[in-house]
Amino acid sequence: MIRSLVAPVLAAGLLLTTACTDNTAASGDARTMSVKASDTACEVSSVEAPSGTLTFKVTNEGSKINEFYLLGEDGLRIVAEVENIGPGLTRDLVLSAPAGTYFTACKPGMVGEGIRGDFTVTDSGEDVGPKGEDAELVAEADKQYASYVRDQVDQLVTKTEQFATLVKERKDDEARAMYADARVHWERVETVAESFGDLDPQMDAREADLEAGDEFTGWHRLEKDLWPARAEGYTAMTDAERATVADKLVADTATLYDRTRDMTFTASDIANGAKGLLDEVATGKVTGEEEYWSRTDLWDFQANVDGAKVAWEGLRPLLQRKDSALDGQIEKAFASLQALLDKHRDGEGFVTYDKLSEDDIKQLADAVNTLSEPLSKMAGAILS
Amino acid sequence: MLANFLIGLREGLEAALIVSILVAYLVKSERRSDLRYIWTGVGIAVGISLVFGAVLTYGPKGLTFEAQELIGGTLSIVAVAFVTWMILWMATAAKGLSRTLRGSLDEATRPWSLVVVALLAVGREGLETALFIWAATQAAARDTGATLQPLLGALLGIVVAIVLGYLMYRGALRINLSVFFTWTGAFLILVAAGVLAYGIHDLQEARFLPGLHTIAFDVSHVISLDSVVGSLLKGIFNFSPVTTVLEAIAWVSYVVVVGTLFVLRNRAAHRPAATPVPQGAAS
Ligand SMILES: [Cu+2]
Repeated sequence: MIRSLVAPVLAAGLLLTTACTDNTAASGDARTMSVKASDTACEVSSVEAPSGTLTFKVTNEGSKINEFYLLGEDGLRIVAEVENIGPGLTRDLVLSAPAGTYFTACKPGMVGEGIRGDFTVTDSGEDVGPKGEDAELVAEADKQYASYVRDQVDQLVTKTEQFATLVKERKDDEARAMYADARVHWERVETVAESFGDLDPQMDAREADLEAGDEFTGWHRLEKDLWPARAEGYTAMTDAERATVADKLVADTATLYDRTRDMTFTASDIANGAKGLLDEVATGKVTGEEEYWSRTDLWDFQANVDGAKVAWEGLRPLLQRKDSALDGQIEKAFASLQALLDKHRDGEGFVTYDKLSEDDIKQLADAVNTLSEPLSKMAGAILS
Repeated sequence: MLANFLIGLREGLEAALIVSILVAYLVKSERRSDLRYIWTGVGIAVGISLVFGAVLTYGPKGLTFEAQELIGGTLSIVAVAFVTWMILWMATAAKGLSRTLRGSLDEATRPWSLVVVALLAVGREGLETALFIWAATQAAARDTGATLQPLLGALLGIVVAIVLGYLMYRGALRINLSVFFTWTGAFLILVAAGVLAYGIHDLQEARFLPGLHTIAFDVSHVISLDSVVGSLLKGIFNFSPVTTVLEAIAWVSYVVVVGTLFVLRNRAAHRPAATPVPQGAAS
């Protein structure tokens, strides 16, 4: 009898070591709220916090025994509570909360519905951790996606170096042939690359998006010099100018390489990344704005879709458990988008954007939206 | 002061009563030497609770609500198993006692079981109580607006709980053994049923079990938990003014099943009264 009961005791004890969570950091931390509870009021210092591990420091300034609750959107589900807040005491409620709408409630005298207030948890991108088997699936998805990112950036480094050399040596035909092929690796992990706010504008800014005074560098600067046909009154770059931009691009790519080596991804990172890639398609590629000079938008289009597909595939085991209908919807939408894209293949690559009819573009845009819609629900489904 | 006193009383009472019954039983059955197992269990529980409570309060790490609730809920249900064992064991031991064959059955496991029962009785709500005590200590030690009142109230509540436990022990010593078994057994069944219901409530709150809002009855407007009566009922029987259906079912099932077992065992214990019965054991 003893032995059979020791196990749960040990398991509970183990929880103490595994389920620990960081105690409150410095005050002023957006995830730490103070709560002044009295017999008649319940003042929370902030009505909003970013998702993650939240701490409510509840001080009972009244005379009755108080309790503090965080309730779910329905006002019924107890997300977390702390009891036994005697008069004069401050007790901490520590919990991990995903983004959503909540209610705070103090219960002076431990009766009734409590004194309620609205509380919002915003999405900080921080994953609040699925548990158990889900956690393993998330870890697996992270492993897969991280290695995909490393592999793509790896290839990007090699091809960018080759491309830069060709540009500097003014082997323009070869450089033009290489351009889209090299950029594919960037576009496949574009949302990750864009997460580095300093690198992205230097490497991938489009001239049309530049603010006055911004320097035009990176991929698209070289693109313009290689395909100046659509540029009116364009002055070609000098050798020195080309070398500066090309070397900078190589150096930035090396930095990107270093930074992606030990990156890890939460389930919501991956899911939101997939959605982000589709947004890239919708805003830049379908419209033919991304590769304005080279008209190689469909290469980028395909690469963004590739990246989103890999992200989704990594999450599939988890998604199928949580919402297999949604997974099926995504699968179908990927297939029809791919079928449509395949119509515009030309040899190793694609036709240029100017070969697309308005109807083609409309069809592509519709297919992107059809995929975007269920894909945007993936993060929510996984984290629920 | 009164409010903190009531929390201390409420949190300490149940443990004090279970331990005092155990002690009374051992003393009455002349097994004072086994008392050390009880005190070992109590000591371990108090020590672990205070240390973990301090680490979680003052250290860099806190415990998430879910984890705390899971620990509390699981320990409650494990504690019920052990208290149930204690009830039935004492009923069976009464039989052994009446034949002066005391303590030959499971001598090997008994000391350990005593340690574990005492440990669980005290440790079940030990972490919550320790967190409460340390919060009161913080209130007494903070830079501005320090107040000793909560800490004094809390400690006084626990002391009174222990005194009540002691009084129960003294009372138990006076009554004869048969009455002792019948009453403590019945009493412990109600206590354990309350602990079971409470553990289920904990797990419902943490959503490991459903039905938190399927309420069997709500008398919170009549018996408030921050009243003396409410605190005593809560402290002794884990009475909850708002009880869920699942809690109620668990409570009733436990009382019926264990109560029946207890009555059957008790009867069996007193039936072979053909041999001369030792002093105090006659029914
Ligand atoms: Cu771009």
